[in-house]
Amino acid sequence: MKNIKTYIWAILGFFLLFFSSPIFAESNSGGNTAEAIIEVIVAVTVFFVAFILWLALVYSEKNDFEGKTFLQPFKNFMQAINKSIPIEEENKILLDHDYDGIKELNNKIPPWYNAIFVGTVIFAVVYMINYHVIGSGNVQEDEYAEEVRLAAVQQKLLSESGKLIDESTVKFVDDPAALANGKEIFIKHCAACHGLKGEGLVGPNFADDYWIHGNTAKDIFKTIKYGVVAKGMPTWSSQLSPNDMQDVGSYIITLRGTNPPNQKAPQGKLYKYDENAQKGAEDKGKKKNI
Amino acid sequence: MSVERFSYDNQSPKLFALATIFWGVVAMLVGLTIAIQLYVPALNLGIPYTTFGRLRPLHTNAAIFAFVGNAIFAGIYYSLQRISKARMYSDVLSKIHFWGWQLIIVAAAVTLVSGITTSKEYAELEWPIDIAIAVVWVVFGWNMIGTLVKRREKHIYVAAWFYIATFVTVAVLHIGNSIELPVSFLKSYPVYAGVQDALVQWWYGHNAVAFFLTTPFLGLMYYFLPKAANRPIFSYKLSIVHFWSLIFIYIWAGPHHLLYTALPNWAQSLGTAFSIMLWMPSWGGMLNGLLTLRGAWDKVRDDPVLKFLVVSITAYGMATFEGPMLALKNVNAIAHYTDWIPAHVHVGTLGWNGFMTFGVLYWMIPKLFKTKLYSKKLATAHFWIGTLGIITWVIPMWWSGITQSLMWKEFTPLGLLKYPNFLETVLQIIPMYIIRSVGGTLYFVGMLMLTYNLIKTMKLGSFAKNEDAEAPALVMGENKLRRGMAHRWLESKPILFTVATFIVISIGGLVEIVPTYLIKSNIPTIASVKPYSPLELQGRDVYISEGCNNCHSQLIRPFRSEVERYGEYSKAGEFVYDHPFLWGSKRTGPDLARIGGKYSDMWHYLHMQNPRQMSPGSIMPEYPWLLENRLDVESTPAKISVMRKLGVPYPEGYEGKAIADLNKQANSIADALLDNGIIVEPDAEIIALIAYLQRLGTDIKTKVAETK
Repeated sequence: MKNIKTYIWAILGFFLLFFSSPIFAESNSGGNTAEAIIEVIVAVTVFFVAFILWLALVYSEKNDFEGKTFLQPFKNFMQAINKSIPIEEENKILLDHDYDGIKELNNKIPPWYNAIFVGTVIFAVVYMINYHVIGSGNVQEDEYAEEVRLAAVQQKLLSESGKLIDESTVKFVDDPAALANGKEIFIKHCAACHGLKGEGLVGPNFADDYWIHGNTAKDIFKTIKYGVVAKGMPTWSSQLSPNDMQDVGSYIITLRGTNPPNQKAPQGKLYKYDENAQKGAEDKGKKKNI
Repeated sequence: MSVERFSYDNQSPKLFALATIFWGVVAMLVGLTIAIQLYVPALNLGIPYTTFGRLRPLHTNAAIFAFVGNAIFAGIYYSLQRISKARMYSDVLSKIHFWGWQLIIVAAAVTLVSGITTSKEYAELEWPIDIAIAVVWVVFGWNMIGTLVKRREKHIYVAAWFYIATFVTVAVLHIGNSIELPVSFLKSYPVYAGVQDALVQWWYGHNAVAFFLTTPFLGLMYYFLPKAANRPIFSYKLSIVHFWSLIFIYIWAGPHHLLYTALPNWAQSLGTAFSIMLWMPSWGGMLNGLLTLRGAWDKVRDDPVLKFLVVSITAYGMATFEGPMLALKNVNAIAHYTDWIPAHVHVGTLGWNGFMTFGVLYWMIPKLFKTKLYSKKLATAHFWIGTLGIITWVIPMWWSGITQSLMWKEFTPLGLLKYPNFLETVLQIIPMYIIRSVGGTLYFVGMLMLTYNLIKTMKLGSFAKNEDAEAPALVMGENKLRRGMAHRWLESKPILFTVATFIVISIGGLVEIVPTYLIKSNIPTIASVKPYSPLELQGRDVYISEGCNNCHSQLIRPFRSEVERYGEYSKAGEFVYDHPFLWGSKRTGPDLARIGGKYSDMWHYLHMQNPRQMSPGSIMPEYPWLLENRLDVESTPAKISVMRKLGVPYPEGYEGKAIADLNKQANSIADALLDNGIIVEPDAEIIALIAYLQRLGTDIKTKVAETK
């Protein structure tokens, strides 16, 4: 029963091949899977390059397809794994089929072929049982809930460490690097609706003293962070980091009175500009003329 | 035993071969055009007919049904007669088949560029053309099975098994997926909605790949490869095992196109499990092909025909290994919606279908014209430039797919998306798009070389419509079912074989599709989801007509990165009134499932006028005609009435009020735009489209807010 032994080994080998690789773990968390995929791609590429080099060697043996040096080991190998009858003896297994001159041999199906086929069937059964009978695998809703839970834990740690600015801690920043960053973000994300110089277009004008949702650093931060979805202002909290929102908010404050061309008519209420409120409590000492 | 004299019909294979070459050039040219449009949006010349959303379906349909379709028929009409030792059943049917098929292709080309489409991938054609396809397809089947019945060979050869499976399954798929209710002569809505429509569509779409691009070509391989190599088929047993396992398992694998969607989990898992099992049945064909070449590899060095066939079979092996891997959920989570999928598909179409077709043509045309190929050197050059073309096409698309997907998923340490602006991820891969179009150009140049070479060959030879042949009359004699010879017995019964095939391919579809209808729990309903308003419904048809779904998905997968980017993940109950579903399969642009309310009406107006006004660098084409074109308001009552018949709960008699409601909503949108200084007629198509976009995904948002 040599045959059965081959089968068992082949099936075991098949499972090892798969379960040894993280590519098989059902999970959509980017990092590891991506690395695994890239590893596989690299391995396959290396294999193919080696194969092509070997082919080039084989074909360099001019007209020698009896295959003395390079081809014979390969032929032996193929014969061994496919358990096929050598070409010289194929008359023994030539069937009496003849279709327009096409004949058919009665070679056995290669054992490795059967083994992998059986292996995939076993895999499929185990897969279905795992997810839908025992229910030990995560279906997509559970997977998602787990992903969100992990993110929330991380978020909590961050906010406890004070790294996250929110509407209670935001302030006007006038350091040039921050304002430059604010300007860059403004041009990239805001200019499409508010104009390149904040003159207003789809959205309101930032250069005048009229505001719909308030003009303090805190008000502006909130408007950016949560948006005014009904009026078309998107929610930016998923796109901009809190620091970026503080920078762009500060930049918007600096646009006041710049008097750009093509200004949109005022919208909202007239707000008094209060430098103290913009700069926050700790800046109270430094007073500027308005 | 009396010897019968008869003749082979060489006219049909010749006509189909010429059509293959002609449509091949067209399909590849359109493909190249849209590949370049991805980095030069202005290449649509500013007119609707040549815009990406309309040309992409034209490219896929032309490549699949015109180029590959005609190649299949050319190969079948040539080989079937010879393996059956009989002339085609009826010359009249052959003629109807050929001219009918070409007419369908022309009708398809005209309607698709005119924006007449059902939106369902590879089944975009409207109902009158669907009926024509069904009729012509049956003519083909009748002709083929008729030939098999009056054959002079006792058994039917493995190539014909695959031809039979092709005929039976494509008929079932095409009819099953095209059941639709007409609204007018060129507009219909499918009877299926949302999740069910998606499932039926991908049962069709996946198996169109299986039974239009795979099984007929395996049949061609089983004839032309042993003929060209002059070697016996490696293993008859393997033929039997991989034929039956392939056609049985393939049908089940459709849901792998819908992993991580709102499709019920059990159906998704079946898709994955059967895709894995599909690996070896697919490889059976490759093995039997490559091992048939044992002892003939020296010929591969000299013969361009064998070169094409070998690379074709190898490409088949690569694609059918990649396929099951892509069906694993975690790999799919990365690959779906990205360029990885077109890369995978094009290994199959350019490599397997294209190269097999080229090999067959280079072998068959000289035979039909009783001469030698005009230039073997040119054919060899075609082989190399074609191979280089495939590599230059596929590798950049693998990289761009993986790159973009990882960018979509990346978070910063602060827990925000690293690339919140979708456009950033597009700009990153534009160099890949450029390289891909170079690959496409190379492949296209190869096609032109083939055209020249074959025209020269035809001029060199002489063609006769009929080729004389003789064979002994068929004597069935004793034909008992014996133990161990059951399959051999079945091979002598073409009708029974056809019936057996039909049964085997029906099981998978029935098990997956029927329960989603009968078991309510598969699609949990959501009370807040309401039918579209008349204006939104019309806007949806504008969306369909422009082919927006070719680049924009409407299905947010349950990943944190997608929920952050697009909003709450999509639920099955949200799509119950979507005839047809518009989930899409590729995100060249961002997902639109919850675009409603994200931007102002004015933003959408300006964005359609010129996307680069709102998103500098965007690769979306401009749609200035939407601002001018008038909506066909009069069609509204008919549309409402058909929707109600399909189960959408519009109140009885709503047809009478629909136009008034439509005008009211349109006027309010136009008035609001006027307040922002934009003058637009309320019956412009853009107004309906804006109404539809602003509605998308909003039904469930209100619900989520309530529960919080």
